Amino acid sequence: MKYNNNFDVPKIVIVGHVDHGKSSFIGRLLYDIGEIQEDKYGELKKASKKRGVEFEFAFLLDALQDERDQGITIDTTRIFFKTKKRKYVFIDAPGHKEFVRNMITGAASADIAILIVDVNEGIQQQTKKHSYLLKLLGFEKVITIYNKMDKVDYAESKFLDIKSKLEKFLSKIGIESYSSIPISSRKGDNIATSSKNTQWYKGFSFVEVLDKFKIQENDKSDLIRFPVQDIYKLDDKRIIVGRIESGKIKIGTKLIFLPSNESVSVKTLEVWPKAKKEYGVGDCIGFTLNDQIFVDKGNMASDTKTPPKLTNRFESKVFWLSKKKISFNKKYLMKINTGEYEVSINQIKNIIDVESLTEQKKLNVEKNDICELVIHSSELIPMDDYSLNKSTSRFCLLDEKEIVAGGIVDIRNYPDQREYKDNLKQNIIPENYAISEIDRSIKFNHRPGIVWLTGLSGSGKSTIAKNVEKRLFQKNINIFSLDGDNLRIGLNKNLDFSPEDRTENIRRTAEVANLFAKAGLIVLVSLISPYRSERKKARDIRPEIFREIYIESSLEVCLKRDVKGLYAKAMKGEIENFTGISSPYEPPEIPNLVINTSKYSIEESVKKLEKFILKEFSF
Amino acid sequence: MQRNLKNLENESIYVFRQAFRSIPNIALLWSLGKDSNVMVWLAFKAFLGRIPFPLVHVDTGKKFKEMYSFRDKYVKKWNLNLIKGSCPSIEKIDPSLPPAARSAARKTEGLRKIIKEKKFRGIIAGIRRDEQGTRAKERIFSPRTDSGTWDIKNQPPEFWDQSNFNYPKSVHVRIHPLLGWTEIDIWEYIKCEKIPVVDLYFSKKGKRYRSLGDEDITLPVDSSAKNVDEIIEELKISKTSERSGRKMDHEEENVFERLRSKGYM
Repeated sequence: MKYNNNFDVPKIVIVGHVDHGKSSFIGRLLYDIGEIQEDKYGELKKASKKRGVEFEFAFLLDALQDERDQGITIDTTRIFFKTKKRKYVFIDAPGHKEFVRNMITGAASADIAILIVDVNEGIQQQTKKHSYLLKLLGFEKVITIYNKMDKVDYAESKFLDIKSKLEKFLSKIGIESYSSIPISSRKGDNIATSSKNTQWYKGFSFVEVLDKFKIQENDKSDLIRFPVQDIYKLDDKRIIVGRIESGKIKIGTKLIFLPSNESVSVKTLEVWPKAKKEYGVGDCIGFTLNDQIFVDKGNMASDTKTPPKLTNRFESKVFWLSKKKISFNKKYLMKINTGEYEVSINQIKNIIDVESLTEQKKLNVEKNDICELVIHSSELIPMDDYSLNKSTSRFCLLDEKEIVAGGIVDIRNYPDQREYKDNLKQNIIPENYAISEIDRSIKFNHRPGIVWLTGLSGSGKSTIAKNVEKRLFQKNINIFSLDGDNLRIGLNKNLDFSPEDRTENIRRTAEVANLFAKAGLIVLVSLISPYRSERKKARDIRPEIFREIYIESSLEVCLKRDVKGLYAKAMKGEIENFTGISSPYEPPEIPNLVINTSKYSIEESVKKLEKFILKEFSF
Repeated sequence: MQRNLKNLENESIYVFRQAFRSIPNIALLWSLGKDSNVMVWLAFKAFLGRIPFPLVHVDTGKKFKEMYSFRDKYVKKWNLNLIKGSCPSIEKIDPSLPPAARSAARKTEGLRKIIKEKKFRGIIAGIRRDEQGTRAKERIFSPRTDSGTWDIKNQPPEFWDQSNFNYPKSVHVRIHPLLGWTEIDIWEYIKCEKIPVVDLYFSKKGKRYRSLGDEDITLPVDSSAKNVDEIIEELKISKTSERSGRKMDHEEENVFERLRSKGYM
């Protein structure tokens, strides 16, 4: 779905199962409202006669020889028409499952969607698949038309039966059926005018419904999104060009550029032959900046208040278009907005069975499957969540020379990795410590250390830490255990479990651990700390004394233990953002030590960690 | 400017800029007709008053004399970098094609020759979806094999303004910035932006050319429209299609598809 203000000539896509009559419907509609040109009509008549049929409306759109000979639509096409009220573009999309990529090519740019069902055949596989794809493409409403009413003798019961089944399915996937019309393309019932054959139907004809249809406009006017398409050097100006995806831009507008995180204001607007004062959604413009900061193609400019998130990891709902299987070892090229990034697929979370609308834990994604993937990039990518801004949260994946997938971004559970610029920093000059770390460690007879225990809730982090602390204390080691939950009572009590607050929670804990280490202690940190990126930041404060310990336990085992009863609550939806249930956990890639508590007893686990600490931090 | 035209203009500018950014060595096909003049104008808008690639006129040698003088005048006035390509003689063209189509196919060969000669990787062409059924099935960025053929049954997906540009060197991409425009949009834009066109489009003695091709295979249509405004009014009520005067379209049902799958615009 397009989501800009382009609604003077709405684009309508028609989707549905193969042979349910998409192309014929459009042909019939154009004929009934007098929009087929006379010479064109003559040509179609000839083409129909050649194939032994009286008049085939579908031939208006099915222009390819193979399409006419086989009687199916292969590729998407567009046709222009006008009613008494306004102009439209009709997009015909193929219904055959082989041509889903062409269906998406057609539907992705439409403003209005129409779903067609043959009342005789009822809901079929592609009816469901197409509906689900419409939802992914951003449609929340569809006009449903029930074709071939003539074949069931215009029986109201048949219409109501299929209608109730279809509406039940649509509401499950979150699509509203805006209007339901019984029609016959062959006979022209309820298309341009109301039909006498369906006296029981009190609604409007298709053309009336279409003319009344209001399209939702993008109203996020204060959210500026401007993906940088290119930089032109003209005379001695550096002109940044691109299209405004949301918001308004004029001279003086303050923008923040990502990933560089620099803010700067617009100096001049550059449009040929002459610039207006202000530009809005959909406008392709150029501008220069007041400060010479480095801007590159693919960067994102936004307002300074609510910029997109910067992340190198995200979840997504994806339609997979290729015969090639997903490979975890492969690099894919991801195109999002005007940027291109090398990414890898980390995980197939699940595959959605469109028939039953259940999630399947299959391993292989097949052509035309819809699935949920976790994607990783080595670079930080500016992106919005799909719920915030549709046009800046959609991407495609390329495998060498082929577009293999399209998808929408879900980063609700991932933190913004943008560095916060702190202006105060400039005036702070740190004092040196009076006693050096070496002096302290000679006195304590061991080196300081930060031992970071990460793992799911219930994996045993705190239990192990407490026991290790006791045993090492008895061996004259100066050790202190920092527990995530304890910290949340005091130092971190203003933080919740949103991705941003989790990040801050980890940052503060890491800083406190660092202070303890400076005091000569070995610090045990027990914190779920689900994000790799954040654990890396903790490590980066003191990499030489930081040790990452992965307390490994399967989710099933943690669920069974459920010491604090939290999983039970999370499963009921009483706790938001619960790691492992409604929020992701990223296991360490190269931990310093792995302790699998599904395999080892508490006693064994404690001994393992104790031995490790003594080895790492004693002289 | 009407919002509808503004939207079309924006879409075309986006395509121009995307093409220039993503495809090395591109050129714009300037056939001297109304559509390609609109295209030149949009290129000026996209690149802020200059066109950073050459224009190509594949000359069949059979255009109307008014078209040649129009070309020579605006090359100077608009300061265009124009490359002229020539076409082979009719004898070298597939004799199984009907006569007008065979004549039109000379242009395909001329285009193929100049693409090879100049190593163009992208060709910007002013075709529109409303002109003809197979053109309605086109992508904005449409890859062609080295022999120029269009793999009509296996077009790449194209959605959310994302396309594939990673093709082998032997492939060139046809770029179609006007695909979403209609005939009447073109005329309304010409009126709004005051874009010059050859005056063969305007009625003389009750006839005018609605679409311009080679002189010998293009017929004028009955019309009294003497200026842009009158053309717009005429189109609002017209019951015939734009290319009704182009002989090559009407010889056989499949002839246009045959021409296009071999590389015709």
